[in-house]
Amino acid sequence: MAALLRGLRVGGTLRRFGSVVAAPTPTNPRCCNSLKCGFHRAAVRLQDDSKSDKPSSSSSTTYHEHYQAHSADQDAAAASSGAAASEPAAEEASRPNTSYQDQSGEHGEEYETEEQLQARILTAALEFVPQHGWSMEAIAAGAETLGLSSASTGMFYNGAGDLVLHFIAQCNSQLTDILAEQHNQVQLGQAEPKETAEFLRDAVETRLRMYIPYVETWPQAMSILLLPHNIPDSLKHLSTLVDDIWYYAGDRSTDMNWYTKRAALTGIFNTTELVMVQDSSPDFQDTWNFLDNRIQDVVNMASTAKQVQSTGEAVVQGLMGAALKNLTGANQRR
Amino acid sequence: MQRAAHFALYDWTHILSSSTARQCLKCRAPLQLSSRGYSVLPPPRDSEEKAMLDRILRVDHAGEYGANRIYAGQMAVLGRSQIGPLIQDMWDQEKKHLGKFNEILAENRVRPTALLPLWNIAGYLLGASTALLGKEGAMACTVAVEESISEHYNSQIRALMEKDPDRYIELLKVIKEFRDDEMEHHDTGLEHDAETVPGYWLLKNVIQLGCKAAIYASERV
Repeated sequence: MAALLRGLRVGGTLRRFGSVVAAPTPTNPRCCNSLKCGFHRAAVRLQDDSKSDKPSSSSSTTYHEHYQAHSADQDAAAASSGAAASEPAAEEASRPNTSYQDQSGEHGEEYETEEQLQARILTAALEFVPQHGWSMEAIAAGAETLGLSSASTGMFYNGAGDLVLHFIAQCNSQLTDILAEQHNQVQLGQAEPKETAEFLRDAVETRLRMYIPYVETWPQAMSILLLPHNIPDSLKHLSTLVDDIWYYAGDRSTDMNWYTKRAALTGIFNTTELVMVQDSSPDFQDTWNFLDNRIQDVVNMASTAKQVQSTGEAVVQGLMGAALKNLTGANQRR
Repeated sequence: MQRAAHFALYDWTHILSSSTARQCLKCRAPLQLSSRGYSVLPPPRDSEEKAMLDRILRVDHAGEYGANRIYAGQMAVLGRSQIGPLIQDMWDQEKKHLGKFNEILAENRVRPTALLPLWNIAGYLLGASTALLGKEGAMACTVAVEESISEHYNSQIRALMEKDPDRYIELLKVIKEFRDDEMEHHDTGLEHDAETVPGYWLLKNVIQLGCKAAIYASERV
Protein backbone atom coordinates (compact mmCIF):
# COMPACT_ATOMS: atom_id res chain seq x y z
CA MET A 1 0.00 0.00 0.00
CA ALA A 2 2.69 2.44 1.03
CA ALA A 3 4.73 1.29 -1.92
CA LEU A 4 1.78 1.98 -4.23
CA LEU A 5 1.34 5.50 -2.90
CA ARG A 6 5.03 6.08 -3.13
CA GLY A 7 4.96 4.85 -6.72
CA LEU A 8 2.15 7.22 -7.62
CA ARG A 9 3.91 10.12 -5.97
CA VAL A 10 7.12 9.29 -7.78
CA GLY A 11 5.32 8.91 -11.08
CA GLY A 12 3.84 12.36 -10.61
CA THR A 13 7.25 13.77 -9.74
CA LEU A 14 8.75 12.25 -12.86
CA ARG A 15 6.06 13.70 -15.11
CA ARG A 16 6.64 17.14 -13.69
CA PHE A 17 10.37 16.63 -14.02
CA GLY A 18 9.88 15.64 -17.64
CA SER A 19 7.84 18.71 -18.50
CA VAL A 20 10.32 21.03 -16.75
CA VAL A 21 13.36 19.55 -18.48
CA ALA A 22 11.75 19.27 -21.88
CA ALA A 23 10.77 22.93 -22.03
CA PRO A 24 14.22 24.49 -22.63
CA THR A 25 15.45 22.06 -25.31
CA PRO A 26 12.69 20.81 -27.56
CA THR A 27 15.02 19.54 -30.30
CA ASN A 28 15.99 15.98 -30.89
CA PRO A 29 18.19 14.98 -27.98
CA ARG A 30 20.36 12.50 -29.78
CA CYS A 31 23.40 14.11 -28.33
CA CYS A 32 25.48 12.74 -25.62
CA ASN A 33 26.96 9.96 -23.59
CA SER A 34 26.66 11.25 -20.10
CA LEU A 35 24.08 9.95 -17.71
CA LYS A 36 22.43 13.32 -17.33
CA CYS A 37 21.65 13.29 -21.00
CA GLY A 38 20.29 9.81 -20.62
CA PHE A 39 17.91 11.01 -17.98
CA HIS A 40 17.12 14.06 -20.03
CA ARG A 41 16.28 11.98 -23.07
CA ALA A 42 14.18 9.64 -21.03
CA ALA A 43 12.44 12.57 -19.45
CA VAL A 44 11.69 14.04 -22.86
CA ARG A 45 10.26 10.71 -23.92
CA LEU A 46 8.24 10.79 -20.76
CA GLN A 47 6.72 14.04 -21.83
CA ASP A 48 6.07 12.71 -25.31
CA ASP A 49 4.50 9.70 -23.72
CA SER A 50 2.27 11.77 -21.53
CA LYS A 51 1.24 13.81 -24.56
CA SER A 52 0.57 10.76 -26.64
CA ASP A 53 -1.23 9.18 -23.73
CA LYS A 54 -4.12 11.53 -24.18
CA PRO A 55 -5.26 10.57 -27.70
CA SER A 56 -5.28 6.84 -27.06
CA SER A 57 -3.54 4.30 -24.91
CA SER A 58 -2.73 2.21 -27.94
CA SER A 59 -0.42 4.89 -29.32
CA SER A 60 1.88 4.63 -26.33
CA THR A 61 1.97 0.86 -26.76
CA THR A 62 2.97 1.13 -30.37
CA TYR A 63 5.51 3.78 -29.37
CA HIS A 64 6.98 1.31 -26.90
CA GLU A 65 6.88 -1.49 -29.43
CA HIS A 66 8.55 0.75 -31.98
CA TYR A 67 11.38 1.36 -29.56
CA GLN A 68 11.65 -2.32 -28.79
CA ALA A 69 11.86 -3.16 -32.48
CA HIS A 70 14.31 -0.32 -32.94
CA SER A 71 16.56 -1.56 -30.18
CA ALA A 72 16.34 -5.09 -31.50
CA ASP A 73 18.10 -3.94 -34.64
CA GLN A 74 20.91 -2.32 -32.76
CA ASP A 75 24.02 -4.06 -31.67
CA ALA A 76 23.33 -4.63 -28.04
CA ALA A 77 25.94 -7.23 -27.22
CA ALA A 78 27.06 -5.80 -23.94
CA ALA A 79 23.63 -4.74 -22.95
CA SER A 80 21.69 -7.79 -24.08
CA SER A 81 21.33 -9.17 -20.60
CA GLY A 82 20.29 -5.76 -19.39
CA ALA A 83 17.76 -5.53 -22.18
CA ALA A 84 16.26 -8.84 -21.19
CA ALA A 85 15.77 -7.50 -17.72
CA SER A 86 14.52 -4.08 -18.55
CA GLU A 87 12.07 -5.24 -21.20
CA PRO A 88 9.96 -7.12 -18.69
CA ALA A 89 10.69 -4.26 -16.30
CA ALA A 90 9.54 -1.79 -18.93
CA GLU A 91 6.46 -3.83 -19.76
CA GLU A 92 5.71 -4.10 -16.10
CA ALA A 93 5.96 -0.37 -15.53
CA SER A 94 4.56 0.49 -18.95
CA ARG A 95 3.76 4.10 -19.31
CA PRO A 96 5.79 6.38 -17.03
CA ASN A 97 9.13 4.58 -17.00
CA THR A 98 10.11 3.61 -20.48
CA SER A 99 13.19 1.51 -20.65
CA TYR A 100 16.41 3.47 -20.70
CA GLN A 101 17.92 0.32 -22.09
CA ASP A 102 16.26 0.92 -25.45
CA GLN A 103 18.61 3.75 -26.16
CA SER A 104 21.77 1.89 -25.32
CA GLY A 105 22.17 0.50 -28.79
CA GLU A 106 22.39 3.92 -30.30
CA HIS A 107 25.65 4.64 -28.52
CA GLY A 108 27.17 1.18 -28.21
CA GLU A 109 28.99 0.02 -25.13
CA GLU A 110 29.85 3.41 -23.65
CA TYR A 111 26.28 3.84 -22.50
CA GLU A 112 25.69 2.37 -19.09
CA THR A 113 22.84 -0.04 -18.58
CA GLU A 114 20.09 0.79 -16.15
CA GLU A 115 21.22 -1.97 -13.84
CA GLN A 116 24.77 -0.64 -13.72
CA LEU A 117 23.47 2.83 -13.03
CA GLN A 118 21.26 1.57 -10.24
CA ALA A 119 24.18 -0.33 -8.80
CA ARG A 120 26.34 2.78 -8.81
CA ILE A 121 23.68 4.87 -7.14
CA LEU A 122 23.07 2.27 -4.46
CA THR A 123 26.76 1.84 -3.78
CA ALA A 124 27.09 5.58 -3.40
CA ALA A 125 24.05 5.60 -1.14
CA LEU A 126 25.67 3.20 1.30
CA GLU A 127 27.85 5.89 2.80
CA PHE A 128 24.78 7.85 3.79
CA VAL A 129 23.15 4.94 5.56
CA PRO A 130 24.60 5.69 9.00
CA GLN A 131 23.11 9.15 8.65
CA HIS A 132 19.73 8.49 7.01
CA GLY A 133 19.18 4.83 7.73
CA TRP A 134 18.16 2.36 5.04
CA SER A 135 15.75 4.64 3.23
CA MET A 136 15.01 6.64 0.14
CA GLU A 137 16.80 9.62 1.68
CA ALA A 138 20.05 7.68 1.63
CA ILE A 139 19.47 6.70 -2.00
CA ALA A 140 18.67 10.32 -2.90
CA ALA A 141 21.85 11.49 -1.17
CA GLY A 142 23.82 8.83 -3.03
CA ALA A 143 22.34 9.91 -6.35
CA GLU A 144 23.30 13.48 -5.60
CA THR A 145 26.95 12.59 -5.00
CA LEU A 146 26.97 11.09 -8.50
CA GLY A 147 25.68 14.35 -9.89
CA LEU A 148 22.17 13.08 -10.51
CA SER A 149 18.96 14.62 -9.34
CA SER A 150 17.43 13.15 -6.20
CA ALA A 151 14.33 12.43 -8.30
CA SER A 152 16.25 9.55 -9.80
CA THR A 153 15.18 7.59 -6.73
CA GLY A 154 12.05 6.97 -8.78
CA MET A 155 13.99 4.21 -10.51
CA PHE A 156 13.88 2.16 -7.33
CA TYR A 157 10.45 0.64 -7.05
CA ASN A 158 11.38 -1.17 -3.93
CA GLY A 159 13.01 1.78 -2.19
CA ALA A 160 14.94 0.84 0.89
CA GLY A 161 14.57 -2.82 -0.02
CA ASP A 162 16.61 -2.23 -3.15
CA LEU A 163 19.36 -0.66 -1.08
CA VAL A 164 19.50 -3.45 1.47
CA LEU A 165 19.39 -6.21 -1.14
CA HIS A 166 22.12 -4.49 -3.14
CA PHE A 167 24.29 -4.32 -0.04
CA ILE A 168 23.67 -7.97 0.78
CA ALA A 169 24.53 -9.04 -2.76
CA GLN A 170 27.66 -6.93 -2.68
CA CYS A 171 28.75 -8.53 0.62
CA ASN A 172 28.08 -11.99 -0.76
CA SER A 173 30.17 -11.44 -3.84
CA GLN A 174 32.98 -9.95 -1.76
CA LEU A 175 32.90 -13.04 0.42
CA THR A 176 32.94 -15.32 -2.61
CA ASP A 177 35.98 -13.47 -3.92
CA ILE A 178 37.77 -13.89 -0.61
CA LEU A 179 36.91 -17.59 -0.42
CA ALA A 180 37.98 -18.18 -4.02
CA GLU A 181 41.26 -16.41 -3.35
CA GLN A 182 41.89 -18.55 -0.28
CA HIS A 183 41.02 -21.63 -2.29
CA ASN A 184 43.50 -20.67 -4.98
CA GLN A 185 46.17 -20.18 -2.37
CA VAL A 186 45.54 -23.65 -1.02
CA GLN A 187 45.65 -25.10 -4.54
CA LEU A 188 48.97 -23.39 -5.16
CA GLY A 189 50.27 -24.78 -1.91
CA GLN A 190 50.81 -21.35 -0.42
CA ALA A 191 48.40 -21.93 2.42
CA GLU A 192 47.30 -24.82 4.55
CA PRO A 193 43.77 -26.11 4.05
CA LYS A 194 41.62 -25.31 7.03
CA GLU A 195 39.50 -27.75 8.95
CA THR A 196 35.81 -27.53 8.21
CA ALA A 197 34.78 -26.03 11.54
CA GLU A 198 37.53 -23.42 11.40
CA PHE A 199 36.73 -22.64 7.78
CA LEU A 200 33.06 -22.11 8.53
CA ARG A 201 33.88 -19.98 11.49
CA ASP A 202 36.22 -17.77 9.53
CA ALA A 203 33.84 -17.46 6.61
CA VAL A 204 30.88 -16.47 8.78
CA GLU A 205 33.00 -14.05 10.77
CA THR A 206 34.37 -12.42 7.62
CA ARG A 207 30.89 -12.05 6.26
CA LEU A 208 29.42 -10.62 9.43
CA ARG A 209 32.28 -8.18 9.84
CA MET A 210 31.08 -6.52 6.65
CA TYR A 211 28.07 -5.37 8.64
CA ILE A 212 30.14 -3.59 11.28
CA PRO A 213 30.04 -0.12 9.67
CA TYR A 214 26.24 -0.37 9.54
CA VAL A 215 25.58 -2.24 12.72
CA GLU A 216 23.66 0.63 14.31
CA THR A 217 21.07 0.59 11.54
CA TRP A 218 21.24 -3.14 10.86
CA PRO A 219 18.05 -3.98 12.78
CA GLN A 220 16.20 -1.68 10.40
CA ALA A 221 17.76 -3.47 7.46
CA MET A 222 16.80 -6.85 8.87
CA SER A 223 13.22 -5.76 9.29
CA ILE A 224 13.17 -4.49 5.71
CA LEU A 225 14.41 -7.88 4.55
CA LEU A 226 11.54 -9.53 6.39
CA LEU A 227 8.90 -7.60 4.49
CA PRO A 228 6.84 -10.07 2.47
CA HIS A 229 7.83 -8.70 -0.92
CA ASN A 230 11.50 -8.86 0.01
CA ILE A 231 11.48 -12.34 1.46
CA PRO A 232 12.01 -14.28 -1.82
CA ASP A 233 15.03 -12.16 -2.71
CA SER A 234 16.55 -12.21 0.74
CA LEU A 235 16.10 -15.98 0.96
CA LYS A 236 17.75 -16.34 -2.41
CA HIS A 237 20.75 -14.31 -1.27
CA LEU A 238 20.95 -16.28 1.96
CA SER A 239 20.84 -19.61 0.17
CA THR A 240 23.50 -18.52 -2.32
CA LEU A 241 25.69 -17.37 0.55
CA VAL A 242 25.36 -20.63 2.45
CA ASP A 243 25.86 -22.73 -0.67
CA ASP A 244 29.02 -20.80 -1.53
CA ILE A 245 30.47 -21.16 1.96
CA TRP A 246 29.83 -24.90 2.03
CA TYR A 247 31.19 -25.36 -1.47
CA TYR A 248 34.47 -23.69 -0.59
CA ALA A 249 34.52 -25.61 2.69
CA GLY A 250 34.75 -28.70 0.51
CA ASP A 251 31.23 -30.06 0.73
CA ARG A 252 30.49 -32.26 -2.27
CA SER A 253 27.56 -34.19 -0.88
CA THR A 254 24.73 -35.24 -3.17
CA ASP A 255 22.25 -36.63 -0.69
CA MET A 256 20.26 -35.32 2.25
CA ASN A 257 23.48 -34.04 3.78
CA TRP A 258 23.37 -31.29 1.20
CA TYR A 259 20.21 -30.00 2.83
CA THR A 260 21.08 -30.62 6.46
CA LYS A 261 24.45 -28.91 6.18
CA ARG A 262 23.00 -25.85 4.55
CA ALA A 263 20.14 -25.70 7.01
CA ALA A 264 22.59 -25.88 9.91
CA LEU A 265 24.78 -23.14 8.51
CA THR A 266 21.75 -20.94 7.82
CA GLY A 267 20.71 -21.33 11.44
CA ILE A 268 24.20 -20.49 12.65
CA PHE A 269 24.46 -17.45 10.42
CA ASN A 270 21.06 -16.02 11.30
CA THR A 271 21.43 -16.47 15.04
CA THR A 272 24.93 -15.02 15.03
CA GLU A 273 23.66 -12.04 13.06
CA LEU A 274 20.99 -11.48 15.70
CA VAL A 275 23.55 -11.69 18.49
CA MET A 276 25.75 -9.23 16.64
CA VAL A 277 23.18 -6.46 16.44
CA GLN A 278 22.85 -6.30 20.19
CA ASP A 279 26.45 -7.01 21.06
CA SER A 280 28.31 -4.23 22.83
CA SER A 281 31.54 -6.03 23.67
CA PRO A 282 34.83 -4.72 22.25
CA ASP A 283 35.27 -5.83 18.64
CA PHE A 284 32.15 -8.00 19.00
CA GLN A 285 34.06 -10.61 20.92
CA ASP A 286 30.85 -12.00 22.42
CA THR A 287 29.48 -12.58 18.94
CA TRP A 288 32.53 -14.54 17.82
CA ASN A 289 32.38 -16.60 21.00
CA PHE A 290 28.73 -17.34 20.31
CA LEU A 291 29.65 -18.33 16.77
CA ASP A 292 32.36 -20.65 18.05
CA ASN A 293 29.92 -22.35 20.37
CA ARG A 294 27.26 -22.81 17.71
CA ILE A 295 29.70 -24.31 15.27
CA GLN A 296 30.98 -26.59 17.99
CA ASP A 297 27.39 -27.67 18.64
CA VAL A 298 26.91 -28.60 15.02
CA VAL A 299 30.17 -30.49 14.91
CA ASN A 300 29.19 -32.40 18.06
CA MET A 301 25.81 -33.21 16.62
CA ALA A 302 27.38 -34.52 13.45
CA SER A 303 29.79 -36.77 15.30
CA THR A 304 27.01 -37.99 17.61
CA ALA A 305 24.92 -38.84 14.58
CA LYS A 306 27.82 -40.81 13.15
CA GLN A 307 28.24 -42.69 16.40
CA VAL A 308 24.55 -43.50 16.57
CA GLN A 309 24.67 -44.77 13.04
CA SER A 310 27.64 -47.06 13.63
CA THR A 311 26.10 -48.35 16.87
CA GLY A 312 22.91 -49.05 15.00
CA GLU A 313 24.79 -50.92 12.33
CA ALA A 314 26.54 -53.01 14.95
CA VAL A 315 23.21 -53.86 16.57
CA VAL A 316 21.73 -54.86 13.22
CA GLN A 317 24.78 -56.96 12.51
CA GLY A 318 24.27 -58.68 15.80
CA LEU A 319 20.63 -59.35 15.12
CA MET A 320 21.18 -60.51 11.57
CA GLY A 321 24.37 -62.27 12.51
CA ALA A 322 25.33 -65.67 11.30
CA ALA A 323 24.27 -67.38 14.53
CA LEU A 324 20.68 -66.24 14.27
CA LYS A 325 20.50 -66.94 10.56
CA ASN A 326 21.83 -70.45 10.97
CA LEU A 327 19.44 -71.17 13.82
CA THR A 328 16.38 -70.04 11.92
CA GLY A 329 17.49 -71.61 8.67
CA ALA A 330 17.51 -68.37 6.76
CA ASN A 331 20.89 -69.19 5.27
CA GLN A 332 19.81 -71.95 2.96
CA ARG A 333 19.79 -71.50 -0.75
CA ARG A 334 16.27 -71.71 -2.13
CA MET B 1 5.81 -2.83 -9.55
CA GLN B 2 7.40 -5.38 -7.30
CA ARG B 3 7.99 -7.79 -10.14
CA ALA B 4 9.87 -5.11 -12.00
CA ALA B 5 12.19 -4.63 -9.07
CA HIS B 6 12.47 -8.38 -8.78
CA PHE B 7 13.51 -8.68 -12.42
CA ALA B 8 15.90 -5.77 -12.18
CA LEU B 9 17.47 -7.05 -8.99
CA TYR B 10 17.65 -10.60 -10.19
CA ASP B 11 19.45 -9.69 -13.35
CA TRP B 12 21.55 -7.12 -11.60
CA THR B 13 22.75 -9.55 -8.99
CA HIS B 14 23.35 -12.06 -11.71
CA ILE B 15 25.49 -9.60 -13.61
CA LEU B 16 27.38 -8.55 -10.52
CA SER B 17 27.96 -12.07 -9.37
CA SER B 18 28.71 -13.23 -12.87
CA SER B 19 31.57 -10.82 -13.14
CA THR B 20 33.15 -12.00 -9.93
CA ALA B 21 31.94 -15.25 -8.46
CA ARG B 22 31.21 -17.17 -11.61
CA GLN B 23 34.59 -16.41 -13.09
CA CYS B 24 36.13 -17.95 -10.02
CA LEU B 25 33.74 -20.88 -10.16
CA LYS B 26 34.53 -21.55 -13.76
CA CYS B 27 38.28 -21.44 -13.47
CA ARG B 28 38.72 -23.22 -10.18
CA ALA B 29 39.75 -26.85 -10.08
CA PRO B 30 37.29 -29.07 -8.22
CA LEU B 31 38.33 -29.90 -4.70
CA GLN B 32 37.30 -33.50 -5.17
CA LEU B 33 39.92 -35.67 -6.83
CA SER B 34 38.98 -36.29 -10.41
CA SER B 35 41.05 -38.01 -13.03
CA ARG B 36 39.47 -35.96 -15.76
CA GLY B 37 40.79 -32.54 -16.64
CA TYR B 38 37.53 -31.50 -18.21
CA SER B 39 33.97 -31.38 -17.07
CA VAL B 40 31.08 -33.26 -18.62
CA LEU B 41 29.06 -30.07 -18.69
CA PRO B 42 30.01 -26.86 -20.47
CA PRO B 43 30.22 -23.82 -18.20
CA PRO B 44 26.70 -22.41 -18.26
CA ARG B 45 26.15 -19.36 -20.42
CA ASP B 46 23.40 -17.90 -18.28
CA SER B 47 21.12 -18.79 -15.44
CA GLU B 48 18.47 -20.28 -17.73
CA GLU B 49 20.89 -22.80 -19.12
CA LYS B 50 22.14 -23.57 -15.63
CA ALA B 51 18.57 -24.14 -14.48
CA MET B 52 17.88 -26.45 -17.41
CA LEU B 53 21.06 -28.47 -16.87
CA ASP B 54 20.39 -28.60 -13.15
CA ARG B 55 16.95 -30.01 -13.78
CA ILE B 56 18.24 -32.66 -16.14
CA LEU B 57 20.99 -33.77 -13.78
CA ARG B 58 18.81 -33.67 -10.70
CA VAL B 59 16.20 -35.96 -12.17
CA ASP B 60 18.79 -38.33 -13.66
CA HIS B 61 20.55 -38.55 -10.32
CA ALA B 62 17.25 -39.26 -8.59
CA GLY B 63 16.44 -41.90 -11.19
CA GLU B 64 19.69 -43.76 -10.73
CA TYR B 65 19.35 -43.50 -6.97
CA GLY B 66 15.86 -44.98 -7.16
CA ALA B 67 16.98 -47.76 -9.51
CA ASN B 68 19.77 -48.57 -7.08
CA ARG B 69 17.29 -48.95 -4.24
CA ILE B 70 14.93 -51.05 -6.36
CA TYR B 71 17.66 -53.53 -7.10
CA ALA B 72 18.68 -53.48 -3.44
CA GLY B 73 15.12 -54.42 -2.53
CA GLN B 74 15.05 -57.19 -5.10
CA MET B 75 18.37 -58.56 -3.86
CA ALA B 76 17.12 -58.57 -0.28
CA VAL B 77 14.39 -61.01 -1.25
CA LEU B 78 15.87 -62.91 -4.17
CA GLY B 79 19.55 -62.46 -3.41
CA ARG B 80 20.09 -66.08 -2.56
CA SER B 81 17.98 -67.54 -5.31
CA GLN B 82 19.09 -68.58 -8.76
CA ILE B 83 18.37 -65.19 -10.23
CA GLY B 84 20.54 -63.53 -7.55
CA PRO B 85 23.77 -63.15 -9.58
CA LEU B 86 21.91 -61.64 -12.52
CA ILE B 87 20.22 -59.05 -10.35
CA GLN B 88 23.55 -58.37 -8.67
CA ASP B 89 25.13 -57.65 -12.07
CA MET B 90 22.42 -55.24 -13.02
CA TRP B 91 22.68 -53.62 -9.60
CA ASP B 92 26.42 -53.11 -10.03
CA GLN B 93 25.86 -51.33 -13.30
CA GLU B 94 23.32 -49.04 -11.63
CA LYS B 95 25.84 -48.32 -8.88
CA LYS B 96 28.30 -47.24 -11.52
CA HIS B 97 25.72 -44.92 -13.05
CA LEU B 98 24.93 -43.42 -9.66
CA GLY B 99 28.60 -42.86 -8.95
CA LYS B 100 28.99 -41.02 -12.24
CA PHE B 101 26.03 -38.76 -11.52
CA ASN B 102 27.27 -38.07 -8.00
CA GLU B 103 30.51 -36.90 -9.53
CA ILE B 104 28.79 -34.65 -12.04
CA LEU B 105 26.46 -33.16 -9.44
CA ALA B 106 29.31 -32.40 -7.07
CA GLU B 107 31.45 -30.79 -9.76
CA ASN B 108 28.71 -28.59 -11.07
CA ARG B 109 27.15 -27.60 -7.76
CA VAL B 110 23.79 -29.04 -8.64
CA ARG B 111 21.27 -29.35 -5.86
CA PRO B 112 20.09 -32.94 -5.39
CA THR B 113 16.38 -33.48 -5.11
CA ALA B 114 14.93 -33.11 -1.64
CA LEU B 115 12.80 -36.19 -2.22
CA LEU B 116 15.76 -38.57 -2.02
CA PRO B 117 14.66 -40.13 1.29
CA LEU B 118 11.27 -40.79 -0.28
CA TRP B 119 12.82 -42.49 -3.30
CA ASN B 120 15.05 -44.43 -0.93
CA ILE B 121 12.12 -46.04 0.85
CA ALA B 122 9.79 -46.24 -2.14
CA GLY B 123 12.42 -47.84 -4.35
CA TYR B 124 13.35 -50.43 -1.76
CA LEU B 125 9.71 -51.30 -1.11
CA LEU B 126 8.97 -51.55 -4.81
CA GLY B 127 11.92 -53.85 -5.40
CA ALA B 128 11.17 -56.02 -2.40
CA SER B 129 7.44 -56.30 -3.01
CA THR B 130 7.77 -57.20 -6.67
CA ALA B 131 10.47 -59.71 -5.78
CA LEU B 132 8.02 -61.35 -3.37
CA LEU B 133 5.95 -62.17 -6.44
CA GLY B 134 8.83 -64.33 -7.49
CA LYS B 135 11.51 -64.09 -10.08
CA GLU B 136 8.98 -63.17 -12.78
CA GLY B 137 7.67 -60.33 -10.65
CA ALA B 138 11.13 -58.93 -10.14
CA MET B 139 11.83 -59.13 -13.84
CA ALA B 140 8.52 -57.45 -14.65
CA CYS B 141 9.42 -54.60 -12.31
CA THR B 142 12.81 -54.31 -13.98
CA VAL B 143 11.20 -54.21 -17.42
CA ALA B 144 8.74 -51.51 -16.40
CA VAL B 145 11.28 -49.30 -14.65
CA GLU B 146 13.96 -49.65 -17.31
CA GLU B 147 11.46 -48.86 -20.02
CA SER B 148 10.44 -45.70 -18.17
CA ILE B 149 14.02 -44.65 -17.64
CA SER B 150 15.01 -45.33 -21.25
CA GLU B 151 12.09 -43.28 -22.50
CA HIS B 152 13.08 -40.50 -20.14
CA TYR B 153 16.71 -40.52 -21.24
CA ASN B 154 15.59 -40.53 -24.85
CA SER B 155 13.51 -37.42 -24.38
CA GLN B 156 16.43 -35.71 -22.65
CA ILE B 157 18.71 -36.66 -25.52
CA ARG B 158 16.16 -35.26 -27.96
CA ALA B 159 15.90 -32.01 -26.01
CA LEU B 160 19.67 -31.55 -25.82
CA MET B 161 20.13 -32.43 -29.49
CA GLU B 162 17.48 -29.88 -30.41
CA LYS B 163 19.21 -27.18 -28.42
CA ASP B 164 22.84 -27.62 -29.34
CA PRO B 165 24.38 -31.04 -29.94
CA ASP B 166 27.93 -29.74 -30.12
CA ARG B 167 27.80 -27.86 -26.89
CA TYR B 168 26.45 -30.79 -24.89
CA ILE B 169 28.40 -33.50 -26.63
CA GLU B 170 29.97 -34.87 -23.46
CA LEU B 171 26.72 -34.93 -21.56
CA LEU B 172 24.98 -36.56 -24.50
CA LYS B 173 27.64 -39.25 -24.58
CA VAL B 174 27.07 -40.03 -20.93
CA ILE B 175 23.29 -40.12 -21.24
CA LYS B 176 23.41 -42.26 -24.38
CA GLU B 177 25.71 -44.75 -22.71
CA PHE B 178 23.45 -45.02 -19.72
CA ARG B 179 20.38 -45.27 -21.91
CA ASP B 180 21.94 -48.20 -23.73
CA ASP B 181 22.68 -49.92 -20.42
CA GLU B 182 19.11 -49.46 -19.28
CA MET B 183 17.78 -50.87 -22.56
CA GLU B 184 20.01 -53.87 -21.99
CA HIS B 185 18.49 -54.40 -18.56
CA HIS B 186 15.04 -54.08 -20.08
CA ASP B 187 15.82 -56.77 -22.64
CA THR B 188 17.35 -58.99 -19.98
CA GLY B 189 14.16 -58.69 -17.98
CA LEU B 190 12.07 -59.71 -20.97
CA GLU B 191 14.35 -62.68 -21.64
CA HIS B 192 13.80 -63.96 -18.13
CA ASP B 193 10.04 -64.41 -18.35
CA ALA B 194 8.93 -61.01 -17.13
CA GLU B 195 5.72 -61.27 -19.14
CA THR B 196 4.60 -64.48 -17.51
CA VAL B 197 3.81 -62.85 -14.17
CA PRO B 198 0.05 -62.73 -13.54
CA GLY B 199 -1.25 -59.20 -13.96
CA TYR B 200 1.76 -58.16 -16.01
CA TRP B 201 -0.08 -55.43 -17.88
CA LEU B 202 -1.47 -53.92 -14.69
CA LEU B 203 1.78 -54.16 -12.80
CA LYS B 204 3.78 -52.65 -15.63
CA ASN B 205 1.44 -49.70 -16.07
CA VAL B 206 1.16 -48.95 -12.37
CA ILE B 207 4.94 -48.96 -12.01
CA GLN B 208 5.39 -46.78 -15.07
CA LEU B 209 2.84 -44.30 -13.80
CA GLY B 210 4.73 -44.15 -10.52
CA CYS B 211 7.98 -43.56 -12.40
CA LYS B 212 6.45 -40.72 -14.39
CA ALA B 213 5.22 -39.09 -11.18
CA ALA B 214 8.65 -39.53 -9.60
CA ILE B 215 10.36 -37.94 -12.61
CA TYR B 216 7.94 -35.02 -12.58
CA ALA B 217 8.46 -34.42 -8.87
CA SER B 218 12.25 -34.76 -8.92
CA GLU B 219 12.60 -32.22 -11.69
CA ARG B 220 10.93 -29.62 -9.57
CA VAL B 221 11.57 -30.26 -5.92
